[in-house]
Amino acid sequence: MSVLIGIDVGGTFTDFSCFDTDRRELFYYKVSSTPDDPSRAIVNGLKELLEQRGIDPLEISYLAHGTTVATNALIQKKGGKTALITTKGFRDLLEIGRQTRPSLYELDKAGVPPIVPGKYRCEVRERLLYDGSEYQPLDEEGTRETVRYLKQEGITSVAVCTLFSFVNPAHERRIEEILQEEFPEAYVSVSNRVVPEFREYSRMSTTVVNAFLGPVMEQYVTNFQDSIRSLGIKASPYITQSNGSIISIQETKKCPVRTALSGPSAGVVAAEYVTSMCGIQNLITFDMGGTSADISLISGAGYRLSSEKLLEGYTLRTPMIDIETVGAGGGSIAYIDNGGALKVGPQSAGAKPGPAAYNRGGTQPTVTDANVLLGRLNPERILGGRMQVRRDLAEQALHREICEKTGLDVIEAAKGVIAVVNSNMVRTTRIVSVERGYDVREFALVAFGGAGPLHACEIARELGIRTVIIPPSPGTLCSLGLLAADIKYDYARTALLDVGEEALGQVSELFAGLEAEGRAFLDKEGVPEASRQFVRRIDARYKMQNYELSVPMEDGPVDLDKLLRAVEAFHAEHEKNYGYCNRTQPVQFVNFRLTAVGQRQKPLLQIAARQQGEFMPVGHRPVYFDRETGFVDCPIYNREEMYAGDRLTGPAVIEQMDSTIVIMPGWDARLEETGILRLDSCTGGEA
Amino acid sequence: MQGNKVDAITVEIVGNLLLSIAEEIGVALIKSSYSSNIKERHDCSSAVFDAQGNLIAQAEHIPMHLGSMLDSIQAVMARYPLAEIAEGDMFIANDPYKGGGSHLPDIVVAAPVFAEGRLIAWVANIAHHSDIGGIVPGSTSGEVTNIFQEGIRLPALRVCRNGEVMQEIFDIIIGNSRTPKERVGDLNAQVAANRIGIRRIVEAYEKYRETLETAMQDLQIYAENSLRAGIAKIKDGVYHFYDYVDDMDNLEEQVKIDVVITVAGDDITLDFSSSSPQVPANINVTYGGLLATVFYTLKALIDPHIPSNSGIYRAFKVIARPGSVINAEEPGPIGERMSTCQRVVEVILGALYEVMPERVMACSHDGGTSVNLSGVNPRTGDFFIYPEGVAGGEGAHAFRDGMSGVQVHMTNTSNLPVEVLEMENPLLVENYSLRADSGGAGKFRGGQGIERTICMLADNVRFTGHGGRQFIPAWGLDGGQEGAAGSFYLHRKDGSRERLSSVCTGVALNRGEKIQVLTPGGGGFGDPKLRSREAVLRDLEDGKISEEQAHRVYGLE
Repeated sequence: MSVLIGIDVGGTFTDFSCFDTDRRELFYYKVSSTPDDPSRAIVNGLKELLEQRGIDPLEISYLAHGTTVATNALIQKKGGKTALITTKGFRDLLEIGRQTRPSLYELDKAGVPPIVPGKYRCEVRERLLYDGSEYQPLDEEGTRETVRYLKQEGITSVAVCTLFSFVNPAHERRIEEILQEEFPEAYVSVSNRVVPEFREYSRMSTTVVNAFLGPVMEQYVTNFQDSIRSLGIKASPYITQSNGSIISIQETKKCPVRTALSGPSAGVVAAEYVTSMCGIQNLITFDMGGTSADISLISGAGYRLSSEKLLEGYTLRTPMIDIETVGAGGGSIAYIDNGGALKVGPQSAGAKPGPAAYNRGGTQPTVTDANVLLGRLNPERILGGRMQVRRDLAEQALHREICEKTGLDVIEAAKGVIAVVNSNMVRTTRIVSVERGYDVREFALVAFGGAGPLHACEIARELGIRTVIIPPSPGTLCSLGLLAADIKYDYARTALLDVGEEALGQVSELFAGLEAEGRAFLDKEGVPEASRQFVRRIDARYKMQNYELSVPMEDGPVDLDKLLRAVEAFHAEHEKNYGYCNRTQPVQFVNFRLTAVGQRQKPLLQIAARQQGEFMPVGHRPVYFDRETGFVDCPIYNREEMYAGDRLTGPAVIEQMDSTIVIMPGWDARLEETGILRLDSCTGGEA
Repeated sequence: MQGNKVDAITVEIVGNLLLSIAEEIGVALIKSSYSSNIKERHDCSSAVFDAQGNLIAQAEHIPMHLGSMLDSIQAVMARYPLAEIAEGDMFIANDPYKGGGSHLPDIVVAAPVFAEGRLIAWVANIAHHSDIGGIVPGSTSGEVTNIFQEGIRLPALRVCRNGEVMQEIFDIIIGNSRTPKERVGDLNAQVAANRIGIRRIVEAYEKYRETLETAMQDLQIYAENSLRAGIAKIKDGVYHFYDYVDDMDNLEEQVKIDVVITVAGDDITLDFSSSSPQVPANINVTYGGLLATVFYTLKALIDPHIPSNSGIYRAFKVIARPGSVINAEEPGPIGERMSTCQRVVEVILGALYEVMPERVMACSHDGGTSVNLSGVNPRTGDFFIYPEGVAGGEGAHAFRDGMSGVQVHMTNTSNLPVEVLEMENPLLVENYSLRADSGGAGKFRGGQGIERTICMLADNVRFTGHGGRQFIPAWGLDGGQEGAAGSFYLHRKDGSRERLSSVCTGVALNRGEKIQVLTPGGGGFGDPKLRSREAVLRDLEDGKISEEQAHRVYGLE
């Protein structure tokens, strides 16, 4: 017997997805999170799980978890005592950044304080030119003195970032050697290793954050491994990265910044995995929880990676799944603003004080309260009956905050709250789809998170989407993603090359170099040859442009035909994204990227077919759907009573432990053999 | 107008949709443009208008562009009778006196949107082109005396017919630019971005039909109501403040900006009548530019979340004498209007400090420090132009220090990465740092100005620069001190240095010579002696202040 375990650490709960490979059985477990030390909930949960299920720790062959250690360290500013060594004249670049302010109109908003204060931002005399040639040699003695000063000051982490190190890393390497000699105990992060790409501020900021997180991650890794071993588990654990893959826990010590935006990525991976079983390749993932919704797009080519984002105000340039977040969740608060418009969010009542209907002290009307009033959420009990719901409190809150200020009645107000929060999410969905050149109507919507399935049909209808996918356990989907993730590491090099015969040698050399790095990584991860894959991409642009598009580059020996096909892919991508392309304009290659992939065996989802009886509603209640139907006496079903092949037609509501699914009139639902609920719009061309 | 109720739900939903359309136009423009100015520095904006040409939703990256397209649609409709405006048309303009933006480099491209054969809306975008002719590369020179020297002037003209670009119009613009290849790329991007906007508005109309048009009107009422609700909270009274634009050290008299603000109930009137007459220098502002500036300031002070549409212009009244520096008439040059606009913001803030002491901040750096280097790049043989706006110190607030090295108020353009600029131009940046002691001392310290030194790697490079607050520094509040003034220096190869004028044009530089730019710091807030000792020590350790200032000004023991 062999057991695979995926663990997702959330703000409130830590979820476990386990797959027994012999019995082909998937099961879930849940414990309360321990935000002060997230590994405690993991270890406690594992212990309970092993006992309850009678699993021998040695049977665990795979253990992966998403961690918020890096993210939290950044939010709470609890990282290493960090210093920066950079080119003379540029120590303040870390504070100046792109010289923009964080908000155009909010005068009181200040930028985040730089991670390294002025006194630990050190300059060394050295300078390279744009082509990597040396303009001024490195002042080694000065560097040595600087390092000694930092050591004396009790610094724990040192970031090194000098100009044009992405072309020629010689000076950074020498500084690194000097650090090794003088200050071997420091955690060192060097820009040409962390982000070997041009644009100095992004590179510097990312390298500094990486240095800041280093010691925290090192300590976490050590603690975590110790506790896992103490449970008798021999499998070496993996951690998720922001690019949606997993990596062995040892490797994360080198580049902790690559995990900093990993939070929502497991959900995207799980959504892709789940829908691949339905044969669907184009999908939009829609993960709506209590305070926010995470939305991303996956096309036939896989999920999109974006390379730069702000986290807590800090610029991070690291491969991450392109996810947009909007402050729209079940707890989002509705109010009437000064001009008389109904606003929803981004303020949230969260889990505490929570929606008014939960009677935990919340008095502001929330999206959940509106769903209760419309009958979409069970107005009496949720969480399988464990929690009581107070419809009257929801009504009071809406009446006081919305109705009295607008003259709307409570039901109109509740409809308005849902319409507005949906429009906020639709707007965000447009950002990841239409603004990136995709026709959203060709996509399926995969809804998960506690609140996703409640809103999915309406969002889909608004966007002209005709298929909605609800995974087996929408509330704990992220932990399933950890069972479905591959091992991946992304490599990149910047080299500005004009496309042509002359570039062949260099392109070939660049990819060979990247592949060598990738191969060494997969060796270390113990990935067998047959499971290995190397995926190449090139960031290209029209010469003179300053913005790149990433296009695939074929495998194998580099020849001119392949280069030209990449150029053609660039023209097509440009056309798709920006409405035009110019085939007479010279194209320039900018960044060369390689992803080393170690593919893993994934669990097979399945659910039994119905042996007897019929799928019947467990009750009826009035539920509001839309203007045409108004309130309908709607059948309510229990998902736990659903077997493969069971069907129903909207209007209907399906309740399950961790979520509620609203099926609009004109939609058909069918539970597939994989346990996935598939909803299809059966009306003609409504958009 | 207050009391006009809007449909609370539709306003929010359609408002969301129209703003996302405006943003989508902007995203397309930024991504597909050619010049760094638009692509990297986002010096552009995009908007949706109703059929009458009222602004409904705008995505702006710098506030200077707010409402900068307001006159464009009106000018198009004034020139072309409605019957002559057809599907597939687009129009272009850049002359601020005839339907353009707020200075000539900003070119507007506007497109009517038709549904069922009827004009239902307009979409438009505006982008800063790095050269549109004129007497210097980059088109902005401190030495001009009229607009004819500032580049090509385009009144509102048709530029597309039946969906096709009218090449003859493009050729006129291209023929007037020193960087024609870039112009083609940027103009094409502007046209393509509008096409996306048209498609989206038509889709929205198919879904919402007449509700779309009603909501466009409601959105304006909503914005007006929102601003008025905020004005009503300001104590009634008359408030006065003035300051000077000190940019032009070649002018005989300093240029005064003076405002008298009258607040009565939910009405606010800003009277700039006592401001100086317009000047034969490029710091004049057109009336449209003044309105944009007033709007920015009121929105920032009162409610940063008010949507940017024509409704807000109905909530305030501006009085400005035609022929004055903030309501210039032809042929007043306007290329460097930014400094004057920043001063307009500061005098409004200064006037309202009395009644909004917790909201108003001390004076910031000028915001208009611009440098422009051009010449022939020996590596390629091509002509190059490198324009940059250099940020400075923000004024301190009643509750925090000012930010250092940051853009304020009317602009928020980002810098060009040094690695990008050195790859493209024969220049070497020697330093880019924060100036010690430049932030105005105070209980809360003003932000620091920037020092940036650029070394020439080619002969015959020309420097054109413009800097404000090089003579009159940014003022402090409540006992806070003023920030340091800015300056430009030329460093010769023999090591000598020479202070340049605050407005210089075409200064010739050879290989190895350097331009040093020092930008102003922001004013402080509160008595420096009241600054927490930890903060003073920290500033000292971090090199933000010198020992001398720590002891003498902050009284550190």
